[in-house]
Amino acid sequence: MGFSRIETITSMNRLSSVKSALSKIGVTGMTVIQAIGCGVQMGTFEYEAEQNAEMELLPKQMIILFVEDEIVDKVVDVIKKELYSGHIGDGKIFVSPLTNVIRVRTGEEGEDALK
Amino acid sequence: MRENKLGLPSVISTGVGLIVATSCLMSLGQGAGALGVGFVVPMVLACIINICTALSMAELNAIMPNLTGGLAQYTLAGFGPFVTIVTMVGGYLVCQSIAGSVECAMFGNAINSVFHTGIPSSVFCILLLAVLLIANLLGVDMFAKIQNFVAYGLIVSLVIMGLMGMFGLGTGEKVSQKMDLTQSFSDSFALLGLAFFLFIGSEFVIPIARSVKNARRNIPLGMVLSLVIICVMQIFVVCGMGNYATWEELGNSASPHILYGNALLGYVGSLWMILVSIFAVVSTVNSAISFLSFMCAGMAKINLMPEIFLRRNKRGAYYVGILMIGAIMMVVNATGLSTSDSLSFMILVAIVFWMVSYVIANINVLVFRKKLPKVPRTFKVPLGAVIPVVGIFGNLFMIWNIDGNPATRNLIFTIDGIIFVVLGIYAVLWCRFRLKRPLFQPIPVHEVMAMEHSLYLIAHKNKNNQGGK
Repeated sequence: MGFSRIETITSMNRLSSVKSALSKIGVTGMTVIQAIGCGVQMGTFEYEAEQNAEMELLPKQMIILFVEDEIVDKVVDVIKKELYSGHIGDGKIFVSPLTNVIRVRTGEEGEDALK
Repeated sequence: MRENKLGLPSVISTGVGLIVATSCLMSLGQGAGALGVGFVVPMVLACIINICTALSMAELNAIMPNLTGGLAQYTLAGFGPFVTIVTMVGGYLVCQSIAGSVECAMFGNAINSVFHTGIPSSVFCILLLAVLLIANLLGVDMFAKIQNFVAYGLIVSLVIMGLMGMFGLGTGEKVSQKMDLTQSFSDSFALLGLAFFLFIGSEFVIPIARSVKNARRNIPLGMVLSLVIICVMQIFVVCGMGNYATWEELGNSASPHILYGNALLGYVGSLWMILVSIFAVVSTVNSAISFLSFMCAGMAKINLMPEIFLRRNKRGAYYVGILMIGAIMMVVNATGLSTSDSLSFMILVAIVFWMVSYVIANINVLVFRKKLPKVPRTFKVPLGAVIPVVGIFGNLFMIWNIDGNPATRNLIFTIDGIIFVVLGIYAVLWCRFRLKRPLFQPIPVHEVMAMEHSLYLIAHKNKNNQGGK
């Protein structure tokens, strides 16, 4: 069985609903990092008339999940629906392959280490 | 601490409360007067078409959530500014102003039909409007707390009186008459427009989505259930009416609900109906004035109406919109709107605009499906394009059959055509000289969403001013 790493960068106020929705579909762990950054809008607020000439880094959060490949689509779908507001700054989701997961305390690997 | 959120029953009560108004009762009386219990057929058809539109509205809200203007913003992103101005100003501003005026007129008629004051009905209408205007200007939402009470009062009263009539439990004298007056299908189709009026407004539930528990499920479900409940409730009333009032009397009465109340329970029934309908009229007209002033402000926010509508008084009320709408309603009522024929004609003139805006809403769903197929919709209308297509053709069919009499139908189309031309001229001038955008070029969704921000207009105005220097 394969594993994937799902990283979501989004604005600061969206964690609670994402956490709750992921819990409902059985995701059992997540890591959240507070960050600053910007995307293609260079940190321009959506109401502004002109785009920033220089990147403006705004407060963001990165939500990191490691899940089995079978549920990647479901997890991504839930995250997309929870984060979607139609506004600039909803975020981006990055999915990348993962070769192994090891639980240090027990030495379990792979699927066992995720449960 | 968890925020207290509204459940499905609250969504349904809001939906029913917003849809049912006393002018609906007049439409019901008119329809029953023409077809007897056969009016149930156009009612059910109109309800089904409205359910299709309600589902489409729910999908649009999923694509562009939490917007104040609702359909205005969806249309701006789907069709560009011209269609938005014409359908929104026409669909909501003109239609609601006319419908609000009809509600006020019914208030005057109801008072006179019970108390026989000898004072012209329009005097009561104008007095009521003056009180509501002052309340809105003072920013007093005096009916917010009793809205649910009023809505439930209306529902419970209609269900009880409908069932009492159906099962012959009234104290009045029963009448014996042919129950179904329908001669052919075309009779039913001719009253679709009138039946449609019984179900409009379910989309007003959408703004409360933010405060609703599991809004993705409860908003569409609540809208559909509200429409079904109203349909069932009004079927009871039509069936009850047939046992206690003659169809002819109902069709000719400007206050058929009072007439039915009186026929069913005598003077007590009249008083019961008048109490319920006065509360309903007051809350409906009050909401209409408040909603329209907010809608004008919302349109000004997205630069589709003059900025003057954004002006607030010390109490925070959008006073320009309130005064304008109040003035329109007063002028319409001062013209002596009182007979059942004139009231139902006004309703038909008004609802054509509403139907057009519903057609646009259904087309919008298909446009967004094509333009933004991958947007994560939290609600998607089932069965592919079937339901929006039924909504489009259903509404077009109702427009075409707005009245059974060809002369009346042509007159309605002429009046609506003139209003559309005037709105079209305003839209062309506004887009060319003020908005400076192509008439039919849709505005990207993210830009429409950004327009919702209170600083958008200021930031873009500053840029234009700097550009001009």
